[in-house]
Amino acid sequence: MAARSSILAKTVSTPVILIGILLIVALVALLVKSGPFNQTVIDIFIRVVLVVGLYVFIGNSGVISFGHIGFTCLGAYATAWLTIPPPMKKMALPGLPDIILNAKLPFAPAIVLAAIFAGVCALVFGKILMRLSGIAASIATFAMLALINQVYSNWERVTGATSSVVGIPINRSIWPYAICAFVVVIIAYLYAISRSGLALRSARDEATAAAASGIDIPRERLIAFTLSGVIMGLGGALYAHSVGVVTPDTFYLGLTFISLSMLVVGGMNSLSGAVLGVVILSTIIQILRWFEKGVPIGGTTLTIPNGLQEIAIGIVMIVILMYRPSGLTKNRELVWRGWPFRGLFGGA
Amino acid sequence: MTLLEVKDVTVRYGQLTALRKASIGLDEGETLFVTGPNGAGKSTLLKAIAGVVSPREGEIRLDGRRISGRAPEEIARMGFSMVPEGREVFGGLTIEENLRLGVGMRADKDQAERDLEQVYAVFPMLRERRDRHAGVLSGGQQQMLVIGRALMAGPRLMAIDEPSLGLAPKVIDDVYAILLRLRDKSGLTLLIVEQSATRAMLTGGRMILMRSGEVALAGDARELARGDTLRAAYFGYGDH
Amino acid sequence: MTAVLQILFDALSLGSLYALGALGIALIFGVMRLVNFAHGDYIAFCVFALLWPSIDAAAIVFIGKLPSLILIPLVIAIGAGLSVLSEIVVFRRFRNANPATMMIASFALGFVIRYFLLMLYSSRPKSIDLWSNLSLPIEIFGARIPLLQVITICTTIVVLLALTAFLKRTRFGLEMRAAAENFTMARMLGVRANNVIMLAFALSGALAAAIGLILVTQTGTVDIQMGVSVMLVAFIATVIGGLGSLTGAVIAGFLIGGATVLMQVILPVDARPFRDAFVYAAVIVTLIWRPNGLFAPKSAKQRV
Repeated sequence: MAARSSILAKTVSTPVILIGILLIVALVALLVKSGPFNQTVIDIFIRVVLVVGLYVFIGNSGVISFGHIGFTCLGAYATAWLTIPPPMKKMALPGLPDIILNAKLPFAPAIVLAAIFAGVCALVFGKILMRLSGIAASIATFAMLALINQVYSNWERVTGATSSVVGIPINRSIWPYAICAFVVVIIAYLYAISRSGLALRSARDEATAAAASGIDIPRERLIAFTLSGVIMGLGGALYAHSVGVVTPDTFYLGLTFISLSMLVVGGMNSLSGAVLGVVILSTIIQILRWFEKGVPIGGTTLTIPNGLQEIAIGIVMIVILMYRPSGLTKNRELVWRGWPFRGLFGGA
Repeated sequence: MTLLEVKDVTVRYGQLTALRKASIGLDEGETLFVTGPNGAGKSTLLKAIAGVVSPREGEIRLDGRRISGRAPEEIARMGFSMVPEGREVFGGLTIEENLRLGVGMRADKDQAERDLEQVYAVFPMLRERRDRHAGVLSGGQQQMLVIGRALMAGPRLMAIDEPSLGLAPKVIDDVYAILLRLRDKSGLTLLIVEQSATRAMLTGGRMILMRSGEVALAGDARELARGDTLRAAYFGYGDH
Repeated sequence: MTAVLQILFDALSLGSLYALGALGIALIFGVMRLVNFAHGDYIAFCVFALLWPSIDAAAIVFIGKLPSLILIPLVIAIGAGLSVLSEIVVFRRFRNANPATMMIASFALGFVIRYFLLMLYSSRPKSIDLWSNLSLPIEIFGARIPLLQVITICTTIVVLLALTAFLKRTRFGLEMRAAAENFTMARMLGVRANNVIMLAFALSGALAAAIGLILVTQTGTVDIQMGVSVMLVAFIATVIGGLGSLTGAVIAGFLIGGATVLMQVILPVDARPFRDAFVYAAVIVTLIWRPNGLFAPKSAKQRV
């Protein structure tokens, strides 16, 4: 226990700094008071939830998952089932069981239940998938994503198939999203310093030695997988409430690509990398979006074609993988080492 | 004339220094034995020459041309042939395909055909099984195959990592008999990592002893093997 | 009897498509341990090359107008060229990276290619009439089989035979097989790494082009997403077949094709839309049963 509290003392500044950074983002949004900008900041918080969710599994286990956005899909639809007004549900999604059809939950319990639902599904999938490792595991998670997408794209009476599910109550305040992002950062931090998180990271770096010292790798991976499933589901639920509409294809390769790139750019194995990756790439995306809409420079309007945004992100990602495969943070965490910012980046 | 020159070569694997300013020279037609305890850097030395690991410092020259920093295939094409530790046969390829792999870089295809006949003459067992997959061979047979394969590349310098490891004494005798015949007949230069000092003594040639990544001792194989110097240096007592 | 024959042809032609895809993935995996997520986008790129870049809804046919004898080799060359280019520009710099890093890099490259197409052609699917008369059925033993299916199957058989001959009978083939088994040793025997890898990329890209041509003839549409589903199945096939085994990849491709068609036939009508989901589930189960695939070569143990 003594060892645990010393780890806590040495690293507790990391989540504090990260939440501080996110708070600054939130305050900027409050000061600007523009509707579109408000939405942008909400997007950032949702992405923080998603990318930190990815980090909990990928960062700690070292196994690349292409399937986690599947859990986001599960979470988003779950909150839709729970919160759309019953008359609309009976029209659009008549296949739902009666108890859900007649339910109309408020925001908070709905997103919690949605996250738990995604977590239970992650537990079931993980039970099967966590026996695999390396490339086979990555491909299997990809198959899982396709499986979830196929089911949700075809289950007409329960998911509305490929058509949009509308009528999800929209929540435009940034605080629920910000608080969820803070909570997720804290959860990810607590998991990383927990017995399971430490065991998993030691197994990531030294698989043979860890197995020899009695670490049950599939079990620890399953814990991380389930926890990250919960967080991804929460992210999906938040997404659903931020725009009010869900379709299966929202939660497929595009979102997988963006979230993975944010994690990679920041540094796959660090929580700070996950958060900073979101902040940095979101900023780049926002700037590129302005240019896509057209920015007046001098007398003319400079417009870049649609698609250039993704191309630019893809290239940034490849270049970072080439020259700095451990990401911008070099897989280290932000830690506080006294004032002023002396050695902001500490060991992993 | 000097065929191979290794000068002050240092190799590191991460934090670990496997080779520390090692220098050796090897004349055309000469035989050099490299001996020493496990982890002394013998295999690393061979890998550095082959271009599989790149030296942090120092340089390696083959026939006067700098080879350190070049790709393994280029070094092979300059006349260096290697039999690495662990044999490394291509189990999914037939025996003849294994043998023919090294021929690709040779210009003298006719001579290569004659060499193939010669390898088969030396190892008749390989001829009998030429169309079988190399994966089915026993350890000793695989050793013959990789030596034959290295010879098929038509090398001027051949490096062998522990030719006698895991082989029956009779087979070791055969392997050495063949290597020496090639050395005497076609002027092949040999660089052999060998744990057995007796073997080096019987064969003759020069010998170096490596310890902790350094060349600890060098001299005539027979003289070194006779006295106590070798044992002293091997186990690291005695002052030098 | 004719119904069985029809199912058999359906299964073989779908399996052919998957087998060609799996082969493209496995060829590159064999020589550099890269799972190439950009493969599906090579397929789409080759198909879009038939059109003139324009974001209008109507397709402006460009290369697609050429006579088949020129068109086919040209599209195949485009596929091979794009694939080799991605090797030179991107993957060459990842030679010493771990497989996970390479995999993510290829994922990013795939997105760059996809959005490049989106930028030039917009994201709307367009229709194109390429050899549509091939969809007419012909009669084989009383069963009416679309000519395209027969051509797909024959093409695949020819490709597989040619590739086998290439790998078994030629010097380059020998070097590729050796490199797939043990790259370092092959290089120490003078096998030129760059040549072998570029050849693998070229073959893989050519296969992607062939898949693209078959797909566009079948569906009559071009879409920036069109390679994704084939690529996904191709990945799965290479894993099921045993990463590193070309034969395994091809067999697994046919198996998945067969399983998909079989599901379509035996599933109750209500469950048919979930056909692919059942196939993916079957795949996951297979992996649990044989984590290294059905035909894992001894040499292809994962390099840790």
